[in-house]
Amino acid sequence: MPGGRALPGAVGALCRAMPPPARLVPEALRRAKLDRPQATLDFWRLLYALLKQIHGGKWSEADAIDTQIRFVKSALWYQGYGRPELYRLPSDGSAGSRELLLAFSWLLHRISLLEQLLARNRVRTGDETSVCMCEDDLSQSEQGTTEIAPEYGPEDRVDIRYLQWLNGRLRFQWRSLHAQHQEQCKLLHKIHLLTSGSHVDQILGHFSVTEMDLIRQPENYKQLVQLLELETMQLEAFLEWKQLELVYWQWMETVLDNMAEEGNMCKPQDAHIEKSSLPKVTSCCPWADSLTGQINKLSRDLMALRDQLHELVTHRRSAWEEKVKARAEDLQREDFPATVRKIQEAVELKLLDLSNLCAPKKNKVHGLCRLVYRSKHSASKTGFSRSVSKEPAPAVSATEVIRELQMREASLQRELKQLREECRQRLDEIAEGLDGVICISP
Amino acid sequence: MARERRVPRAVPPTPRPGCVQPHQDRGAAATPYLHSVTLQQQLPLRRPRRSERSSVLDFLRLKYSVSFPNEAMAPATSERAPACSRGHQSHRTLTLAAALVEALGGGEERRRELERLAARSRGLLRRAGQDDEQPETEASSKDGCESRPSPKELEELELLNRALEKALRVRKSISKTPVEAQVAPAEKPAGEGSAFKNAQEQQVPVSGRDVPGSREARAVSRKPASLKKPSPYQLRAPYRTDPDVKKTQKRAPARCVSQGPRTAGKSSSKAVASRQGRSHRPANSASDQGVCAATELRNAPGSSKSALKEQQSSIRDSVGERNLVAAGRQLIDAGGKSCGSHGVSSRKENPTAEGGSTSPQTVTIQQQGCQLKLPHPYRKAFSRNCRAWERSRLCQTSADAAAARRRFTERIQTTFCSPMPALSPAEIEEELKVLQDVPSLLRQYVEAEPADHPTLQREYESLLTLEGLQSTVSQCLHKLQLLQAAVESQKRLHPDCSGDVGSCCPACVPARGRACGGAGTLAVPLLWYSSFQELRDLFALKLQVSMLHQEIALQKLTMTELLPVLESEACPEASAAQLYRAIYTQLCEGGKRFPVLVRDELAD
Repeated sequence: MPGGRALPGAVGALCRAMPPPARLVPEALRRAKLDRPQATLDFWRLLYALLKQIHGGKWSEADAIDTQIRFVKSALWYQGYGRPELYRLPSDGSAGSRELLLAFSWLLHRISLLEQLLARNRVRTGDETSVCMCEDDLSQSEQGTTEIAPEYGPEDRVDIRYLQWLNGRLRFQWRSLHAQHQEQCKLLHKIHLLTSGSHVDQILGHFSVTEMDLIRQPENYKQLVQLLELETMQLEAFLEWKQLELVYWQWMETVLDNMAEEGNMCKPQDAHIEKSSLPKVTSCCPWADSLTGQINKLSRDLMALRDQLHELVTHRRSAWEEKVKARAEDLQREDFPATVRKIQEAVELKLLDLSNLCAPKKNKVHGLCRLVYRSKHSASKTGFSRSVSKEPAPAVSATEVIRELQMREASLQRELKQLREECRQRLDEIAEGLDGVICISP
Repeated sequence: MARERRVPRAVPPTPRPGCVQPHQDRGAAATPYLHSVTLQQQLPLRRPRRSERSSVLDFLRLKYSVSFPNEAMAPATSERAPACSRGHQSHRTLTLAAALVEALGGGEERRRELERLAARSRGLLRRAGQDDEQPETEASSKDGCESRPSPKELEELELLNRALEKALRVRKSISKTPVEAQVAPAEKPAGEGSAFKNAQEQQVPVSGRDVPGSREARAVSRKPASLKKPSPYQLRAPYRTDPDVKKTQKRAPARCVSQGPRTAGKSSSKAVASRQGRSHRPANSASDQGVCAATELRNAPGSSKSALKEQQSSIRDSVGERNLVAAGRQLIDAGGKSCGSHGVSSRKENPTAEGGSTSPQTVTIQQQGCQLKLPHPYRKAFSRNCRAWERSRLCQTSADAAAARRRFTERIQTTFCSPMPALSPAEIEEELKVLQDVPSLLRQYVEAEPADHPTLQREYESLLTLEGLQSTVSQCLHKLQLLQAAVESQKRLHPDCSGDVGSCCPACVPARGRACGGAGTLAVPLLWYSSFQELRDLFALKLQVSMLHQEIALQKLTMTELLPVLESEACPEASAAQLYRAIYTQLCEGGKRFPVLVRDELAD
């Protein structure tokens, strides 16, 4: 075995770098290599805890084991793990620790498990706000599938006025939320201004609300300090792991070797045959349905746009060609081809900007960010980067975020408008059917 | 006149068979009024007579009471069914109601969290010597979690509904209606507004609650381009944080609003009188009055554009003021309570005292701020923590380790079932998210291309741009096709989907809950803002986007639940009209404006 003595070190560092509630004992890894059943439950629980932290959502260690297993399987599917053996593991967690070790190691590399967990569980001392609207995007797709009918029995009916009342309340609630947010901004900004230049961290410059409170009542924040220290230790373990990582991967390869010797490495062809023998899929997957819905909507939008553009372009092109033909001689004299080239380049540049917007942004900042006030004046002087020579820490400016939000807003407004238009048409049709009543829309 | 000879048809009086007509006086609401303007105006001061009121309340209490939902919302078979016989619509919209209640609950949670945060910061600032710091407008939370309307709200609601019923009136001819109708919607909101003025503490958000928006939108609706939802910056909430509102509110002319009640007083008494006269009586006086009011009103918005704008702003201001007053009242009510509960020293403050100063750059405060020092243990822990993050961020994987890692991953991936889709579900979602705003963005680009061009060069540039956009659209469509194919093949692989029907639903949950995270970037991400305005815009936009998300989701739900009801169900004619109006208001106007329904007698 390579690095006989380094391995325990690597495994130990790996275990310590994981968030405390989900920590694994190094011994479990060794057992899993031998596919001992004792380690199976440990691994399911570990994966459950880690994946739940990554996906968000409530969980507890006491959740029923088959729930845990189902979740882990489907989360692995979500990440693109495709070993059929894993999905065939029994749902009572009685066997398969080696399969689980493989899956765990795959996640470690494939989705940067440790890094994600560290970033996600970061101790937050600043005033933070999310820079993306991912949660709203998600809750939107969630809306369609919620089926809840509390309070009322199946035969009960709801008065339309009750719905109107609820709607009105909701609108009012949004307004008061707006007011509250604006107030929150004011208070935050006040604190930021008030304490600017006080922070130990020069880049941050000012305190956050938490830190401000900490000054007032340091006794309330013993726990926070402790958490910071724990996190530091976790980070140090992570650094240690990065040094010893090689040994671990080499060890994992020996696991694969062992399996191959035992003939447990399933041949892809087998899997294929087996897959096709499964019953035909029914359209019951809400995930697929929701995505298909989104794709269809986007396609519809784009196809409408394509048709519109097609017409427009055909029309414009013929008009332009006619004009060029009519003035061919003048244009020849003006060195028209050169002008054309120049225009083409300019347009290409313009469109490049656009395709950047359409392309996936690899290092786009997501999630919560610490709000830092920096007046334009001082920002230009100091510069944003924490360390001068190396790559700068991820930071976004509010201007950027605002621009993106505006884009999002415009597109949502458009969608809502379309929906309303659709309703208007349908309601107009209905109005025609109403006997003797004329509807005059506002 | 033809009008005099005609027997007006009442809107609500068609009871469902087998139901008792409960309130005779309500049937009298059928007296013809030609102009909804008058009706709207009279609303504010028209208090229901006592007997009438209590019966209204009874009926509504009955309908909404938590303890008897079954009776209240049951179809017209039970004995209590008078609730339905009124022609008010009960339909199966349970999911919608539940979704709305849920949305309200979510908002309430958000609100409470914000309140907590604000109280904390406020307390800090106060102790930091910020004497001018005051608690801000907090909507009182006392009725925040209520799920049923209060009696008073119901009363107002009933009044509003009655006014709307009256809008469904006998008309002489179709040709005459458009003129009147143009006026009607414009005036309605103002009337409503004053109706709700009294009930502001109760937070009565009935359909017409959104007064400024509706009024404004109506006034400019001749120019379709400006018929937009207010942008977040215009989302002019009636709050003290908005200095504009503050400045203008003092001189806010209340003419539009105050005019309503006064004229309304007269017409209201007439209305009652004529109602008692009932049916056959020609409605001359009332209609004449209506015409007067109508022309009067038409002059105002029609006269000139500047006048129009002025009117709009004055309306907005007056509304702002009203809300402000209400909010102030709320604050006094809730002040002590909320402060106490947050452990912040409670002191009575005059909420209107504070100036609009949003950036308190007082020198003394600044000095004090600089003197503040973080406690030593924290400073130490923080610095160490910071350094650890920094080192982790800059830490590189050694080439050997990277190679070993890759080897392992590749080997294990050869054992994956084949063909493995190129994209994992997570990646599909990621790709799709990138595309979600593309149509809107492309449309903006297309719309930005002018139709006329001064020079041939510009025309060519525009043409090329359009062609470029065309190819971008095609590319995106192609990408969508690929994504769809990937979705299909992933669906087949889903551990629980490949089995029997319905078993996969709980398993799909992780995909949804996937909170976003800076994939593998180890650092504390920062968000720089350079001005107070920027911070405000940021928060306002975020809220606006969340709101739109919810609005769209609810719109869809409402469409699937309510439109079929209207399309299929054979409800009594009168109730159909009312249901129609309610649904139209909700679905096409976002609950802000409503259509006028006119009974066309010529059809008979």
